[in-house]
Parts: sequence; structure tokens; C-alpha cells
Amino acid sequence: MSKKVLTLVSMIVVLAMLLSACGGSKPAAAPTQAPAAGQAQPTQAPAAEKATLKVLVHQNPPMVEFMNTFNEKFQAKYPNLTVDMSVVNANDLSTVTQTRLTANDVDVVGMFGFANAAQPYMKNVTPPNWQSLIDAGLMMDISDQPFIKNYDEATIKDAGTYNGKVYGINLGRVSYSGIFYNKDLFTANNVKVPTTWDELVAACEAFKKANIPCMTAGGKDGWPIFVGAYGLIGAEYPDQAKLVQGLWDGSIKWNDAKALEMWNKMKVYAQDMMESGASGIAGDAAPGRFASGAVAMFPGGTWYGPAIEAAQPSFEWGYIPWPGSNNPDDNKHLFGKYDQGWAVADKTPNKDAAMKYLTEFSDPANYQAFANAVGFIPTQPGATLGTKIGKEVAPYLANFLVGYEQYWVAPKGAGQYANPYASYFKPFGTYDDPKELADKVQADLQSGLDANK
Amino acid sequence: MVNYQFGRGRARWIPYLLLLPGILFYVVIMLGPSIATSVYSFTDASGIKGSAINWVGLQNYREFLFMGQASRDNYAALGRTLIFSFFVTTIQFTLGLLLALLVNQKLKGVNFFRTLFFMPVILGAVIIGLIWSLFLYPLGGPLAKVFALFGMQSEFLGGQPTVAMAWVIFIQIWANLGVTMMIFLAGLQTIPSELYEAARIDGASSWQVFKNVTWPLLTLSINTNLLLCIIGSLQAWQLFLVLLGYRNGTQVLGYLIFAQGFGQTSGSVTSAFRQGYAAAASIVLFVLVLVIGLTVQAILRRREERILG
Repeated sequence: MSKKVLTLVSMIVVLAMLLSACGGSKPAAAPTQAPAAGQAQPTQAPAAEKATLKVLVHQNPPMVEFMNTFNEKFQAKYPNLTVDMSVVNANDLSTVTQTRLTANDVDVVGMFGFANAAQPYMKNVTPPNWQSLIDAGLMMDISDQPFIKNYDEATIKDAGTYNGKVYGINLGRVSYSGIFYNKDLFTANNVKVPTTWDELVAACEAFKKANIPCMTAGGKDGWPIFVGAYGLIGAEYPDQAKLVQGLWDGSIKWNDAKALEMWNKMKVYAQDMMESGASGIAGDAAPGRFASGAVAMFPGGTWYGPAIEAAQPSFEWGYIPWPGSNNPDDNKHLFGKYDQGWAVADKTPNKDAAMKYLTEFSDPANYQAFANAVGFIPTQPGATLGTKIGKEVAPYLANFLVGYEQYWVAPKGAGQYANPYASYFKPFGTYDDPKELADKVQADLQSGLDANK
Repeated sequence: MVNYQFGRGRARWIPYLLLLPGILFYVVIMLGPSIATSVYSFTDASGIKGSAINWVGLQNYREFLFMGQASRDNYAALGRTLIFSFFVTTIQFTLGLLLALLVNQKLKGVNFFRTLFFMPVILGAVIIGLIWSLFLYPLGGPLAKVFALFGMQSEFLGGQPTVAMAWVIFIQIWANLGVTMMIFLAGLQTIPSELYEAARIDGASSWQVFKNVTWPLLTLSINTNLLLCIIGSLQAWQLFLVLLGYRNGTQVLGYLIFAQGFGQTSGSVTSAFRQGYAAAASIVLFVLVLVIGLTVQAILRRREERILG
């Protein structure tokens, strides 16, 4: 009997060990991988050792295409290094970044330029993700890396520095307050490229009469609808840092006369300018829809430029700042942000490989090829705006301003409508009356401001 | 009562030892995370490894339930969760029963239809999202073309929140109907055919047979299906994520928790992780599911005792 008991106990112990092994979480590092310098590990691996470098980027087709080519070149130069690149939807980047950094399952992370930091006038706000990741010690201080010097100082300071240390290199600025327009359709329908709001309205009416949808956007992803109208905010509030401060201190309200003008225009944008069915177009598919020649205009970020070119190389298009005001001088600004950048996981066992990767990427020739492929406004001083989109935005670069959403942090307790989003209007949202919506947006914001007093 | 004999002395511990792996598995996979979630709900945890975690008492609950318009939006999400659950449960339950009755007939090709109706169950949420996003593509998708034949157009999933919600209800039912049908089918096949024959001989109509034979003897299947439908629909969030994303007027509580926990509330890639707050929200959802689940279970058990004795 005791023999049977012993057998049973042994089986249970084995089973329990198997189960606990299933639940175990070890870093994915291969035994041959190098420990990070500056970490507690004993030595740094020689470069000749084999390692797999895990890289995470968000979905941006021209960038992904470039990265695939770059990775091949990198692997050819460093045969012992393999790049394992994951691509995720932009909406999921922060979630995947957090989980993979936490699990020590990534080495190099694609990260947007640092933004949305809490300002002194903001009370009781949650820090942005990037700040939490740095505070938690998950991102590596790369201040001393030689490749930092390849980028302009302002970019390093504004988009990759926190508490005096550099944690990210930013690869380019983008504007999201412009409109792509189809040159052939404008010419064929005898429509002038608009420089004022009234001209834009007239242009859309002319296209509608010709049975041509005026504008399209990747509404399925949600944000392209409201981001497409950010230029309308800019036309009313060129200094968007001041706008955010004004909203927090109450000197600016989303339902005052000036804002109401913006809401009226947003209604026209959502209901009269945007083509019906735009809510079903995926963000990635929108450039193709525009390049097909089916629609006259495509409000969106400069990052779409290469995708439009790739979809239809012979397609003739231009890019203009949103003519949101009837004063042409108000419409000369381009609002935008620091886009994609690189950061390194602090716990990476492949620090040497990661630094080689960023050094190689930051090489001026490689960086120029990247800027050409992706259409970003370069952040390396020596790089040129040789792309089509680069040439289109060049006349407005002196008027480039960081946009509202890069400064905005909502107070806790604010309602879900506390944003200047054109997508609140039908058919994308539920509102029809600009005044009613303006009051709702301000009430939702005020509710949060009051709750934190 | 059967008295299992495992011997004497140390041998008496064998049943407990045999139970141990299961209990360990339950504690590690189910109970542990549940307790951790309730503890997290009293902290400002971000979910980021290495970040400071501070004890904030009831602050997360106060914020979720009472702070500004955001808390009123949470109640609205709670209301939508209940509406979603009501429609999913009633329609899925009814259709599942009808389909089970249909495929329980001795008809040619019935196995094909059983497989066909069950097939969506094996698809993951992402695949379902992809299939239906393509089917409901407003610019020339299959359904848009059908609508166009009648001079109609719709934004479908991207349109008005009520329309979008209706589609998610439909897709949730489509995706899970097979399970409901199978449970009913299994129940139907346990009913002895002699009972039907006796009822027919006594002159019972089809409705009377269903009402007095099928329905009472399906009690166990009815209870299982109702509980599964209610609890499953109250916790649903994946389809909202893949079909709609974070859109005002469409969030249910389950999705709200995910969005808060993983910084997806604003559509901005720079929003914040708030897993302590999300944990508090999930405890609220847990209480809701518990209250509704226990109430329904009590009612069903009373009914079961009345019918089956």
C-alpha cells in the first residue's frame, strides 16, 4: 500500500513541477546573448556572438517597408545579429510597448516623441506612458551614445530628454494639419486650390456638383477623422500651448464665440465635406483611396505622402495647410508633432547589438534614405527634404508649430467629450447642433476641472 | 451515499493529494489574480514593472463612481452593458433553442447544418472582427451593395452609436449561437423518445408536446445556457475592441476596463496606463456579474427543484 502511496505522491510532485514550469517567466534571452553593460551581469558579449535583436514598430507601411530593407542590410553587415521586428497597430503601440518592456521581451522600441508631460498649472493628472516607463527604469539612458550628436539639439531636448537625460532619438517631425489634394481633379473641374475657408467650402460644393466626393479619411481607425480637422483648431488658436493653458485656467472655453466658429466649421467638415462611408475605411487604406483618384481631397498627416506615392506613382497631388480661416495669413501654419523615434529597453541583454542598430540607423546616409522613404521632416541637420511631401511642406516649415494634442492632458473626472473632435458630429457621432455640442464639450471639461479644485 | 474507501493511515490523504494539483491550478490561475486585482484596486498601480505603487484607499472607487462627468459616463457604460446583455441573452437563447429543435430533426444533411451553425464558435475575436469589418464595409462592401439595391446606405459599424451597438449585438450572437445550440441539442437528445410517443398517443399538439415535455425536461440546458449567456455578455469586450475601438457612446464596462488599464481611452498613443483604476472598475463589474449571476441562479434553481424535484 505504501508503495502505491509513494507512486501517487511522486506523480503529483511531477505534475506540480510541470505546472509551475508552465507558469514560470524567464527572459527570452538566448544563452549566447550578451548581458547589458552597466547592469548587474558579469560581462558584455563580444560582437561576434550570435544574438537576436527584438525591435518593435507601429504600422506605417512606408516605414515598415524601409525597416525590412534596413534590417536586411544590417544583418548582412553583422551576420551574427538577427533582427526580429514586430509591427503593431499605432493604437496598440503603447500597450504592447508596456507589456513587452515589462516582460523583458524587446530590445529596441519605436516610440513617439515625448509629449503630454504634466505642466505646473495642471492638477492631479496621470503622467504619460513614456514618463512612467522611464520612472520605472525600463528605458535606457542613452545620453552618452555618439549617434545622439547626429540629431539636432532641439529635437533631442524636446522629444527625447527627461530630467536632463536622453532616452530617445526622434526620427522626424510630421504635420497633421494639412490637406492632400488631387491636382488633376482640381484642374479638370476648374477649381482653385483653396487658401481660405470660404474657398474650401466652394471647392467642395463644386466637386459635389460634379459627383466627386470632396474628402476622404481612414475613419475606421477613429482618430483620422478628428485628426483630419486639427487644422481647424489651428486656424482659431495658433498658439496651442496657450490654448491648453487657457482651457485649464478657464480663460478659454470650448463654447465661447471663437470656439463656436470652429465647431460650425467642424460640422461642415464632418457632414458636407467628408464622403459617406469614410467611417469604414481603414487608416492604412485611406491613402490608396485618395490615390485612386476617386476623391478630391484627403485631410491628413504628412506621413501619408509616401503611401500615396507608392499606391500610384504617376498620381499628381499637392499638400496645403488647412484653410480654416478666411484670413489667408492665419492659414500658413502647419501643426504637428515629433513622430517615430527609437528607445532602448534598459534591461536588454543585447545592449551592444541595440547600439550598433541605432548607430547604423543614425548614419547620415541611412537616415536620409529613411527620411526619403517615410516623408518625415528630418531631425538630422544634414538631411534634406528631397521627397515629394518634403517639397510640398518646405514653404511652410518656418511656420511649423507643435499641435494641441501634444500638450493636452485631460483632468481626471472630465467627461468623454472633453476634446475638440469633429468626429462628435453625425454621421460619426451623435451631435448635429454645433452649439449643443460646444456646450457639452465645455461641460465635460469643466466637470473635470471642478472635480480637481 | 457512496463511501469511498482509500484505506487507513496515510492512505486516507490520497484523495486530498489527488485534488492538490487542481486546487493549486485554481489558486494560481483564478483565485490569485482575483485577489491581486482587488488589492490593486486600492493602489495607483500603472502595471509597469518597477514603477512605484502607492496605497490610495478608496480613491479609485470614488473616482469611478462619483468623480465628475467621467463617473456619469461610467454609469452610461454600465447601462449599455446591461442593455447589451439583455438583447444578447434573449435573442441568443431563443435562436439557439429554435436551431437546436431544427437540427434535432431526422432530416437529410442535418449534420452539415449542425457544423455550419457551430462553425463561428471556433473563430477568434480578431478573425470575427476582420470578417465583419469587410462584410460591413460601407464603400462597396457586400451588405452596402445590398442596401444600395434598395436606395439605402449606412455607415454600419462606423455610424451612430446605436447602430454600431446593434451590429455588435448581432455579431456577438452570431459568434456564440453555436454553443447555445449545442447545449440545447445535447439536452434534447437526452429526452426519451417514449415520452414524445406517449404524448402523441394522448393526442397532444406540437405546442403541447413542447410545453409539457420538451421545455420542462430541458431545464438543465436552459439554466446552463441562461447563465453562460448572461455572464458572457456582461463580460464581453473583445468584439467592441476589434469592431469599434474606443468610441463615445459605444463602450461597455468590460471594454472600459481594458481601455483604462492599457491607456487606450483617448485614441492617443501617449495616454496613460491606469491599472489600479481599471482594477477598481473590474471589481465593480465583478460585483455586478455576481449579483445578477447569483440572483438568476437562485431563480433557476428554485424552478429546477419545482420541475425536476
